[in-house]
Amino acid sequence: MAAWLRSVLDWLKSLFFTREMELALIGLQNAGKTSLVTVLTSGQFQEDMIPTVGFNMRKVTKGGVTLKCWDLGGQTRFRSMWERYCRGVQAIVYVVDSADLDSLDAAKEELHALLVKPSLAGIPLLVLGNKNDLPEALSVNELISRLELKMIQDRETSVYSMSCRTQANLDVVLRWLQAHAK
Amino acid sequence: MASTAQNTLEPLRAGGDSKAKDEDMEEELEYSPFYGIEKGAVLQEARCFNDSHVDPRRCQQVITKLLYLLTQGESFTKAEASEVFFSVTKLFQHKDVHLRRMVYLVIKEIIPSSDEVIIITSSLMKDMNSKNDLYRANAIRVLCRIIDSQMLLQIERYLKQAVVDKSAVVASAVLAGAIHLAGANSEVIKRWSNEVQEAINSRHPMVQFQAVALMHALRANDRLAVSKLVTQLTRSNVRSPMGQCLLVRYVAQVIAESQPGVGNEVRPFYDFLESCLRHKSEVVIFEAARAICNMRDVTTRELTPAVTVLQLFLSSSKPVLRFVAVRTLNKVAMSHPMAVTNCNIDMESLIADPNRSIATLAITTLLKTGNESSIDRLLKQIGGFMSEIADEFKVVVVEAIKALCLKFPQKYRGLMNFLSNVLREDGGFEYKKAIVDAILVLIRDIPEAKEMGLAQLCEFIEDCEFTFLSVQILHLMGEEGPRTKDPARYIRYIYNRVILENATVRAAALSSLARFGAHCPDLRDRILMLIKRALYDNDDEASAGPGGNGVRDRATLYLYQLQEAPEGPESVDPHWRIPAKGLEAALQAYLASPDQEEPFDLSSVPEVVAPSPAKAKAKPQGLAAAVAAGLSNVSGPETQADEYADMLKAVPQLAALGPVFKTCSPVQLTEEETEYKVVCVRHVLEGHIVFQFNCTNTVREQVLEDVSVTMDLADAEEFSEEAVLPLKVMPGVEEGPGQTYVVLARPPGSMALGRFLNILRFRIKEIDPTTGEAEEEGYEDEYQLEDVEVAAADYIKPAFAPNFRAGWDALPEESEMVDDYGIGQRDSLQDAVEAVGRILGMQACEGTDAVPPNARSHTLLLSGIVVGDVQVLVRLSFGIDAQRNVAMKLAVRSESADVSEAIHAIIQEA
Repeated sequence: MAAWLRSVLDWLKSLFFTREMELALIGLQNAGKTSLVTVLTSGQFQEDMIPTVGFNMRKVTKGGVTLKCWDLGGQTRFRSMWERYCRGVQAIVYVVDSADLDSLDAAKEELHALLVKPSLAGIPLLVLGNKNDLPEALSVNELISRLELKMIQDRETSVYSMSCRTQANLDVVLRWLQAHAK
Repeated sequence: MASTAQNTLEPLRAGGDSKAKDEDMEEELEYSPFYGIEKGAVLQEARCFNDSHVDPRRCQQVITKLLYLLTQGESFTKAEASEVFFSVTKLFQHKDVHLRRMVYLVIKEIIPSSDEVIIITSSLMKDMNSKNDLYRANAIRVLCRIIDSQMLLQIERYLKQAVVDKSAVVASAVLAGAIHLAGANSEVIKRWSNEVQEAINSRHPMVQFQAVALMHALRANDRLAVSKLVTQLTRSNVRSPMGQCLLVRYVAQVIAESQPGVGNEVRPFYDFLESCLRHKSEVVIFEAARAICNMRDVTTRELTPAVTVLQLFLSSSKPVLRFVAVRTLNKVAMSHPMAVTNCNIDMESLIADPNRSIATLAITTLLKTGNESSIDRLLKQIGGFMSEIADEFKVVVVEAIKALCLKFPQKYRGLMNFLSNVLREDGGFEYKKAIVDAILVLIRDIPEAKEMGLAQLCEFIEDCEFTFLSVQILHLMGEEGPRTKDPARYIRYIYNRVILENATVRAAALSSLARFGAHCPDLRDRILMLIKRALYDNDDEASAGPGGNGVRDRATLYLYQLQEAPEGPESVDPHWRIPAKGLEAALQAYLASPDQEEPFDLSSVPEVVAPSPAKAKAKPQGLAAAVAAGLSNVSGPETQADEYADMLKAVPQLAALGPVFKTCSPVQLTEEETEYKVVCVRHVLEGHIVFQFNCTNTVREQVLEDVSVTMDLADAEEFSEEAVLPLKVMPGVEEGPGQTYVVLARPPGSMALGRFLNILRFRIKEIDPTTGEAEEEGYEDEYQLEDVEVAAADYIKPAFAPNFRAGWDALPEESEMVDDYGIGQRDSLQDAVEAVGRILGMQACEGTDAVPPNARSHTLLLSGIVVGDVQVLVRLSFGIDAQRNVAMKLAVRSESADVSEAIHAIIQEA
């Protein structure tokens, strides 16, 4: 009953106080960016996704916040263009495949290379260790050290371990996003 | 036609009827809302695409501005293009249909680098499968523009399906895209042929049109396949007029590539073209008519139906139909003047068409189709319209009349009358000048017309408001008048000018009178009296300005020359040995010098043209340019020859040899950028050839003295060396070239040929770099030059033959020599005609140097004069076969059989 009341309240609030938030979803290919957007919009997980060629623009309204998601392709040829879509967003969401240990070094380098861009200074960063349902997945602390996230000083940085397939921790992620909406 | 060309940077004109436009164009000017926008400002505005809340209206406007700039030819740097592109991609988030359409458009126009453009692939593919047809169509268009062959394979099935989409917009988009892709990815597109075939049967005209075009594009490299496709399409029913037009074009292409039918065999597809002439759409009718008119070796019978429909178009109310019809007929008139004569009545009414392009084409067509018998009638009609048209257009008509007169010299009387009539009408300077020029050309080229032309010019100057023209005509009278049958009749006209005109004209008239006095002894006394009256002329030097004419001074001078001068009255026409340019320079230098007490010394004027340093730095002109460039200067060959003649006259030994028959174009005898630059000019004289070597020393550290050229005559027995005129010092680059001459004698009037080895000999003195002085002694040295060849063409110069047939018949029949030659593969007949014309160096008569397009055979008539003033006429019949092999039959007639033989020899050797 209380949950029902709250959802009605949320709905009413969303009618009058819709807040907007622009996000850039980046990360290496096959990290689960497009899956994340799909799960956010439809609540369904799709096993078989085709790689994103370029970008997808999706708008999701969750809890009174309209999320404008720039879901960018993770292949090498698109990485140089990430910066253009990260400019002016309220948060950068960096998705990492926490079970793919071989690609972590590349993920670290791409992330740090992006964050030194002056145009992106101060934009909050959310690092998501996706696929934590897999046995070899790294924990949050392991991720922090492997990605050398401690080195990032100039912005608010959060790390969550989550899974799109099981939707584990998805609520935490959503709450973080809503908190950063303006 | 110039009126149709518009400067795109000029503001757009407001519409409205043409009369109003002419009257108050100033007020009617309406600027494009985007006129004068700047790229930098627009790029600034384009930042609004990045705003988190996009204003669709504003973004649309900015995109329109960007597109405007692009179509105006503004170019964006790579960085600017990427910046715009990426900001535009952010607009994909917006749902506004109109904005989205602009986004597609601007992406297609900007086309950033291929590694960047792939970023929108995913968005486009999403749009391609959207429910909105407009999104789908536009996304497909952009996709086809940007994808590579790998991507194409991924989305092929979507595109293939879209070909048969029930929405015409989508089908049309994918077909247009496929035409674009067919070049590099034809293998993929060919797999769609079933779908494309279905699209050809679509009810929608645009889809059908594009499907036809795509089918053809896929087969364009295979003649047989194109032929099959055309056969199939002509049987099926292509309903869209545009598609039908395409089909007509493809048919025309097939006809052009097929072998011309033998004998009376019907041309393939001709029936189809003829049936298209009865199509209900004007576009198709015109396309078919044009295709028929452009057919190779089209017969009059084949032409008739096409000309008939074009004739109907001529009286259409739509200007565009009148224009296309008259333009096509104009072309037909070149090859088949008779076929067009039926349209003459309609064409004549077009002379007064408000559209100048139509009127111009009508006139020129009429003048082309006009034969000798119809000229008079035509002139009467044109005369009626002349007063209704603008000056610049009248000039075109006058030019056409001039050309007609040269074509039919026998009709000079009527044409000359026409010209004199229009000369009397009101008109601006350009128009009058064109008429006077036309009359001058006719006087020069048609001897019979001379007296009549002069008489008309005399009348004209009675009432001429243009000083320039009056002076020009008075000068011509002085030249030509004394040699006419009755010189006395011109005196009155000229003397009237002496009393009535301004100072410039009075002076010119006086000079003209003096000429009469010099050349007509029986008139001399009377002319002296007239000139004496001019002594009291109130010519005001001050008002005449620095270039003053001095009517009184001239009168005094002429009186002296005609009465007392030791050289006799001939001194009125002095044969100047001093080039006018040199004299002018010397006089100016004299005027500029502070000490003008000493009288000007005429002998101080250099007799050789030495371009002043200032001039050399600026663009060298005339002779200086020809010598400096060392190459033949096509423009103004006559003035060049004149200047060369001046140069030869300035050297006494050469002047004694007599007049120059022909000066050949300069040949460079050294490589570019070598130490010495030598250019050879051959002057052909009656019994001699003068080789003029223009030498320039490009090495600053050396002085070259006693420069001469030794010619080896071993291979040229008919020549003997008569004189060598060495050059004292070879001038450097700044001073312009110096001349050394070699004179070779040959039997007078003969056409001796030969090739000569040349050696440049000189004494070389090094310049000491420390003192700047040349060393005392120096040493002899020589330098090998390229060979010089005297070819038979050197002895022939072009001559105008007003009436080739009459000239041909007048020459002895026994001098005629005929032979056949094959001249190998050529691009076209025109090419062959030009090549042979160049080799022979003769004048083409009756416009036969222009070959009608697609002609399989052609006759070229040439006229020339061979050294010794022997007239020679050449009739060349060319033919070209399917393999582009050209054969020709050469017939020569001349006053001497030797000359005929020599012409054949030229062709044999070439």
